[in-house]
Amino acid sequence: MNELERVNDNSGQQVATKNSAPLTTLEVYDQYGAMAYGIILQIVPQPHLAQEILVSVFSSPLLQSCNSYPFTFAVCVIKLARAKAVEAKRKLLTIAPFSADNAYSSNENTPELIFDLAFRQGYSPDEVAEKLKISKSEVLKAFHEFFKSPNA
Amino acid sequence: MNTKQFIESGILEAYLLGMSTDEEQHQVNQMVMSHSEISEYLVRFEKNIQGYFLQNAVPPPSDVRQLIQLRNNKTDITSKANHTYYDMPKDNTVKKEQYLDIEVNDTYIKVHKWWRPAFVAVFILSKIFLIAGLYYYFKAASQEDEIQKLRTEIAAPKR
Repeated sequence: MNELERVNDNSGQQVATKNSAPLTTLEVYDQYGAMAYGIILQIVPQPHLAQEILVSVFSSPLLQSCNSYPFTFAVCVIKLARAKAVEAKRKLLTIAPFSADNAYSSNENTPELIFDLAFRQGYSPDEVAEKLKISKSEVLKAFHEFFKSPNA
Repeated sequence: MNTKQFIESGILEAYLLGMSTDEEQHQVNQMVMSHSEISEYLVRFEKNIQGYFLQNAVPPPSDVRQLIQLRNNKTDITSKANHTYYDMPKDNTVKKEQYLDIEVNDTYIKVHKWWRPAFVAVFILSKIFLIAGLYYYFKAASQEDEIQKLRTEIAAPKR
């Protein structure tokens, strides 16, 4: 069951609330540890480093703030795992600055590529737009298309 | 921008994946509050996104769980140390499991930092009392000699 529950307030608007009791770190780990590890491995393919990042995700005080997060724990864990993995990747590799040399041609700009650059490679939507020489709104639309596609 | 255009803009996806700017987050919050369709879309998308990443889930080694448990126990103890007396439970229900067993095998002790100035003050006072004691001892002794000398002079027969 989704942790979010729709309730109608007096104004007739629907608001999202979380009604479950706060989860402990190990409960969250048991539920979403494999998912987080999978995300981290997509960004940092080295298993030892990925395991260190996984430990830092589930030891982070930010994880407790997921209890007050307005959406599901899964989304909070996804964001946290990605943020930690991208941070570690940046520290290790120092993501290369953009130049005209590594600009992609427009016929390669598939939603998969755009999502890969933004989510797995750690580029911001603005940076992806600059890299692919497209507008930021096209980058954001590609995220929507990516999750609509049958691959997602 | 209408609801359909807003959903198709991809801002919601960027928002949920933590790739949106502060301005976009504010925009999403406002739209969620005012449009129930967007709120419903977010709930559906959360399920999609969770399903997508669960497909790529990889079970981590079992050691990782133990390490997380150990690290979180340490964090719990540190956070408990910041609590005041009034935060403590009134009955003696604190279980042993809440503490880490630490093996101590050295001969050092830890004392409060106020012991240092207290020790220095005691040392200085002891020196002052020692000097004062010696001073008054020798002064009393010399006075005693003086009195003895005067008595001898008085008691001596006049020639």
